[in-house]
Amino acid sequence: MQELDDYINRVKHLPPAPLVLPQLLPLLNQPDIDCSKVVEVITYDQSLTAAVIQTCNSAFFAGRSPVDDLQEAIQRIGFREVYQVVLAVSGARVLGPAQKGYGIAEGELWQHSVCTAVAAQLMAEDKGEDTSVVFTAALMHDVGKLVLAGALEGIYTKVMEETEQNQYSLLETEKKLLGVQHAEIGGRLLARWKFPANLVSAVWFHHQPSAAKPFEKLASFVYLGNMIAHFLGFGFGHQAFALRGRSDAMEILEFTSDDLARYMIKTLEKFAEVQKLFGGMGEK
Amino acid sequence: MASPSLAGLFEQKVVVGIADLAVSNNQTLTLATYSLGSCIGVSIYDPVAKVGGLLHVMLPESKIDIDKAQRQPAMFMDTGVPALFRAAYQLKAEKYRVQICVAGGAQVMDSSGFFSIGKRNYEGLKVLLNEHGLKVQAEQVGGMVSRSMYLNLATGEVKLKVSGQTEDFILCKS
Repeated sequence: MQELDDYINRVKHLPPAPLVLPQLLPLLNQPDIDCSKVVEVITYDQSLTAAVIQTCNSAFFAGRSPVDDLQEAIQRIGFREVYQVVLAVSGARVLGPAQKGYGIAEGELWQHSVCTAVAAQLMAEDKGEDTSVVFTAALMHDVGKLVLAGALEGIYTKVMEETEQNQYSLLETEKKLLGVQHAEIGGRLLARWKFPANLVSAVWFHHQPSAAKPFEKLASFVYLGNMIAHFLGFGFGHQAFALRGRSDAMEILEFTSDDLARYMIKTLEKFAEVQKLFGGMGEK
Repeated sequence: MASPSLAGLFEQKVVVGIADLAVSNNQTLTLATYSLGSCIGVSIYDPVAKVGGLLHVMLPESKIDIDKAQRQPAMFMDTGVPALFRAAYQLKAEKYRVQICVAGGAQVMDSSGFFSIGKRNYEGLKVLLNEHGLKVQAEQVGGMVSRSMYLNLATGEVKLKVSGQTEDFILCKS
């Protein structure tokens, strides 16, 4: 743990903390949400407030007179929808920029993250899990890459050598060359940002889901979501496919190869829809 | 009206999405498909009729979703390849004249077999082409990279952009 903190503390430019998310997450489980509490959390962030109101007035929700007040907007579209908007705006802020060390251009990590989240959510829905939590965990799974990208930039040739010639996965390569890897750094980062333990664990172990006990299901959704995003071509970077296939995720969720193929089809369809909300915000 | 030389200066691209295909005899066009992960891009080009097509296939077998295959045959190898050829025939391409190029089918490091979609896509294609006595002119398949594929309809040249590489790769010369 100290090693991870030391590494994070040494990095000059950390991604901006999505402060609002950990405050809203606990509210997802509450049957009666106190609207004023939500307003209180969001209102200090002008761009979040604007995005919520804008969504409320979009063609999809509009119909009555336009809304210009946050409280009214939340009441009209509901908390779950508001949460999605907040997630889209704060996620794009964190994950939008290019990550040269990984060979990821602007917007690509965001696209990858949204695709992962869509796939994970579709699987979770069928298994009767809380889809908002799964979506959030999957969306944030690569946040550790933002911390390591700077260090990888200078050692590109070495990274290629380890993955291409020595057949190390990207995760193993990071561990070998930097002493830490992006999944554990991401998990630690979320913990420092006060995200709940299940999300921290799912991100921390998104490449080895069975180690995430007791949150191995959540980690498996994220793992398979990530896999599907790669299959569909939304895995970006120099050696995007340098990751290990783990049958444990399939066993934990009791999926077959055919299930995976079916979720690829569903994800592709759903992703097109979701991009209208999330994709637009990811581009600058 | 732009002169032909001017048109050449402004290369026009038609983008083929995931699980989609396009066929044309418009020589000012380049057919392009981006980010082939485990998906496979199949291009065909008849140099006599100057007709070409590009297909971006996602999964090997249509039996997994028959309805989907009817609405969107390009999603699956076993329905996509026949659809690609049929569309090209309508523009007077001939079966044994077409040059076939293949790219994509990236593969994760997997010993479990659960995640070998890229490999299965490629195997599906080979079986299909064998059945019809067709051969692949050039291919770049597998590995851990993602690829974008471009077919120039004036020349038949097939070009790849491979993740992590700055230079384009000419898969098939004109």
